[in-house]
Amino acid sequence: MENLLSPYLLMCLAFVAITAPFLAFLLSLIFKKVAPAIGILSIGASFIASLFLFLAVWKKQTLHFSWHWVQLQHVKIDVGILLNDLTVIMLLMISLISLLVHIYSVEYMRKDVLKYRYFAYLSLFCFAMLGVVLADNLFILYAFWELVGFASYLLIGFWFTRDKAVQANKKAMIMNRIGDVGFLIGLMILLTQFHTLDLSVLFGPENLISSSFVKNGLWVSPFNTMPDYWLTIAGFCFFAGAIAKSAQFPLHTWLPDAMEGPTAVSSLIHAATMVAAGVFLLLRIVPLFNELVLTSMAIIGLFTAFMAATIALTQSNIKKVLAFSTISQLGFMILAVGVGDNAAAIFHLITHAFFKCLLFLTAGAVIHELHHLKEKHQLDFDEQNLDYMGGLRKFMPITGFVFLLAACALSGLPFTSGYLSKDAILISVFQYADVNGGIYWLFPLFISITSWLTTFYIFRVVFKVFFGKFRLSEKLSQKLEVHEASRWMTVPILILGIFCFGFFFAFNPFNLDSAWLYKGFNINQHNEGIYHLIVPLYINMLSIALIFTTYYVYAKKTININFQGTWFYKFSYNQWYFNSFYDVFLIKLFLVKTKIFYWFDQKVIDGIVHFLRDFALILSKISSWIDKYIIDGLVNGVAALVQRIGIWLRGTQNGKLQHYFIWMLFLFLSFMIYKIIL
Amino acid sequence: MIPLQHFLFIGAALFSLGLFAVITRKNAIQILMGIELMLNASILNLVAFSRYDKVDNTGQMFGLFIIVLAAAAVAVALVIIMNLYKRTQNIDPNKANSLRG
Repeated sequence: MENLLSPYLLMCLAFVAITAPFLAFLLSLIFKKVAPAIGILSIGASFIASLFLFLAVWKKQTLHFSWHWVQLQHVKIDVGILLNDLTVIMLLMISLISLLVHIYSVEYMRKDVLKYRYFAYLSLFCFAMLGVVLADNLFILYAFWELVGFASYLLIGFWFTRDKAVQANKKAMIMNRIGDVGFLIGLMILLTQFHTLDLSVLFGPENLISSSFVKNGLWVSPFNTMPDYWLTIAGFCFFAGAIAKSAQFPLHTWLPDAMEGPTAVSSLIHAATMVAAGVFLLLRIVPLFNELVLTSMAIIGLFTAFMAATIALTQSNIKKVLAFSTISQLGFMILAVGVGDNAAAIFHLITHAFFKCLLFLTAGAVIHELHHLKEKHQLDFDEQNLDYMGGLRKFMPITGFVFLLAACALSGLPFTSGYLSKDAILISVFQYADVNGGIYWLFPLFISITSWLTTFYIFRVVFKVFFGKFRLSEKLSQKLEVHEASRWMTVPILILGIFCFGFFFAFNPFNLDSAWLYKGFNINQHNEGIYHLIVPLYINMLSIALIFTTYYVYAKKTININFQGTWFYKFSYNQWYFNSFYDVFLIKLFLVKTKIFYWFDQKVIDGIVHFLRDFALILSKISSWIDKYIIDGLVNGVAALVQRIGIWLRGTQNGKLQHYFIWMLFLFLSFMIYKIIL
Repeated sequence: MIPLQHFLFIGAALFSLGLFAVITRKNAIQILMGIELMLNASILNLVAFSRYDKVDNTGQMFGLFIIVLAAAAVAVALVIIMNLYKRTQNIDPNKANSLRG
């Protein structure tokens, strides 16, 4: 391939991959009727370009093109494209999933009036996401990072007439802003320390990060020296950005609310690509993090994974379950980065993108068909509520089968992609605990529990939706039929389904060593040890047992367990009360604060202003009086005096001869007297 | 020999009387007479002081000069007064104010 594709050609391909969606965004807003076609064609072009780039770059070369942009005294910011293994695999994954979601959306959004706008936003998102991946420096990455957030904001609030959607996109925006501030501060620290933000200069071979060192409480780089805690702060700042974007504790609450957007959007942005951008960022800059930051990363990842899994157990909205599942799986990835197994994080990111996207798309198909049913029979029910579903396997066999496949992948059952990637993380966590010992054994304990919870909640959904009896039909005592989704939807679903099989990622689906993607990023580590045998075995044994239990609980209803009403059910159902907590302690507090400020503004600031106004008014009145009576009086007085003297002197010129004589005499005598006296 | 002071006193008295007449009279002829008095007072002074110039008698020369000048001036003045009377039937100088500025 190197002979066929020169670096110049590859650069052009990268340009095509990134500019095609942007052009589509502009064209969709102009040519509204053909917006879906424009969107599909452009992302298709991106996909083909990405495929060529992948074949040319993967495991062969690293390409870096950059152009001057900003040159300050010490600081140089370039704009450019970085193509390495991580870039191309992400590029391929994003463009492929985007392409399939675009095709799927044609049917899903068919009846929407503002369809052209939807496709325009979707293209904008693809442009931004590809930009995040291709950016060669952190500054450009940050710009695209914000743009991704903005596109997500637009799409969450796509149905802007719904109040909930508007609230949700506002929440997502604000939550992400909190993280982005961290990202920005991190950028500034790096810029101060290294005078560049170029990724390959900072983190590439012979990088600046490894040439800097901490000594005597100082962080020394070739350009600058600062106290060593700034290294930790920089790490935490970047991590904060990732926390917000990847919906980790404590900024996770925006993701479940983001499910107000169209389901196709949820699958692309809030399951497969954008939320993975946080993990992607961490992977890009992983050499920066020191031990403390990595440990906190592991703790937060673990906690989020566990918490989200417990919440997903009881949610009645199908999309909410999947949203919390996404949060949980992102926690797995963050944990993997935290324990130092970057390859597993990337691997899980890719496999998760495929099966989670698939879960959302199939859920979307179910929702879409139930919505049709609702409109056809003029019914009133929530088409996303699990309680109205059941037995849909008979009506929608393809959807049901693919959902089951994706659920197996999420649970990490053998032969699936999840088996390889999730177990890679689990093994790493066990090794991490083994090396550190002591309290660190909590990590494998909780991550195992989370893993089983994952199996339980996803099979709960499987059995509630596709097995048993159609509860809506039973509740209304009316015979209702749901149809299989149209080909626009089933074809993308089936293509995604292929990527759930472990064979696609490894020739031997039981052996992590044969997973090309994992080995691609994991060159130095040796995958040997007892855990490689034990961990998958014991996790899966219990998982299978759990699946059977779930089957009997939710499909057959032979085992009847009723947790409803217990405190832990409520605790989980109310999502650990995070929203209420934030409402009471942050939003209420904030409102009270704003009220105080409002009062202060009204009474004190305005009071001062009003007082000053009155004071100035009085002052001006006084000065007006002085002006009128004293200054003008003086001037007028002088004038009047002059007038008076003039009138008086005029009286002397009366033409009377004798008066002139008297004057002459008077003046003469005065002059004489004057001379005599002097 | 009459002392000089006496001449001066009479001169001053004559001058004052003339001045008074010029200022107070409503008749142009009377004013003219006042002027004559004042001229005569000054002639008296000149003649009195000529005592100290016995060689040239400059004072008396000036006296004669002034008498001639005064006679000419009175002739002109009387003609003016007559013309004024012809025009306005009035010789009050205060009413002849048509040349006022």
